[in-house]
Amino acid sequence: MQITTEEMPGGITRVALDGRMDIAGAAAIDLKMNIIAGSAKKLLIDLQKVEFLGSMGLRSIVIPARAVSSRGGKVVLFAPNEMVESVLKTAGIDTLIPVRHDLDAAIAVLG
Amino acid sequence: MTGPHPSWPEPRLTLQSQLEDLTLVWPWVEALAARYSVPAETQFAIQLCLEEALSNVIRHGYRGQANQSITVECAPSGVAELVFTVEDHAPPFDPVAAAPAATPASIQELEPGGQGIRLMRKFASRLTWQPLPHGNRLILAFALPPPAIS
Repeated sequence: MQITTEEMPGGITRVALDGRMDIAGAAAIDLKMNIIAGSAKKLLIDLQKVEFLGSMGLRSIVIPARAVSSRGGKVVLFAPNEMVESVLKTAGIDTLIPVRHDLDAAIAVLG
Repeated sequence: MTGPHPSWPEPRLTLQSQLEDLTLVWPWVEALAARYSVPAETQFAIQLCLEEALSNVIRHGYRGQANQSITVECAPSGVAELVFTVEDHAPPFDPVAAAPAATPASIQELEPGGQGIRLMRKFASRLTWQPLPHGNRLILAFALPPPAIS
């Protein structure tokens, strides 16, 4: 599991995740995700390259998102594949953290 | 590896009650998927449900107690299903009858975890729980597409 971050215009922090968000993948990114969530105000979590999302991986999204939101920040999930999106929907995450497939639309959520 | 084909995976996987052991599940399911020509989406569903079922047993069933065993057995049922049977020695818990966690109304109410039962119900084709004299048996079945005509 790889994690890369990029500061985008408008104060947006883009975190690109790459790999399987299973128990091992979640363990590999948790610390970094929590550090990022400790300072980001506008967080775009790029899921394009996430091949798998399990419940441990969901935690790795939910905990940082909650941290950003509790400081008045915003979070958007960008471009999950069909199965990953199905997990997000079944867990009811998509109604609380917006999911967008178009980058401009994702940025607009953070506006 | 034993069995009729040298590269076929064992039909049974035994785990100890520690979350690290869940890393054994991925390669095992991957090998089974190759063995039974499981489509990628079904493999995703199997990985998701097994991670869920097994982590529930480790965290809640055994309550973090180490050195307890869990077995997972895989068997095709006819040609239409791949069936996984998870057995443990934990106190009885029926995830089929249990009410799933409420859908949270805000990010702040989002509990990490808690959606596992909902995920298993959605992604397994069939979910059956049976009490054992000293444990639980959870059967998770996944429909397979009909074999291609050769």
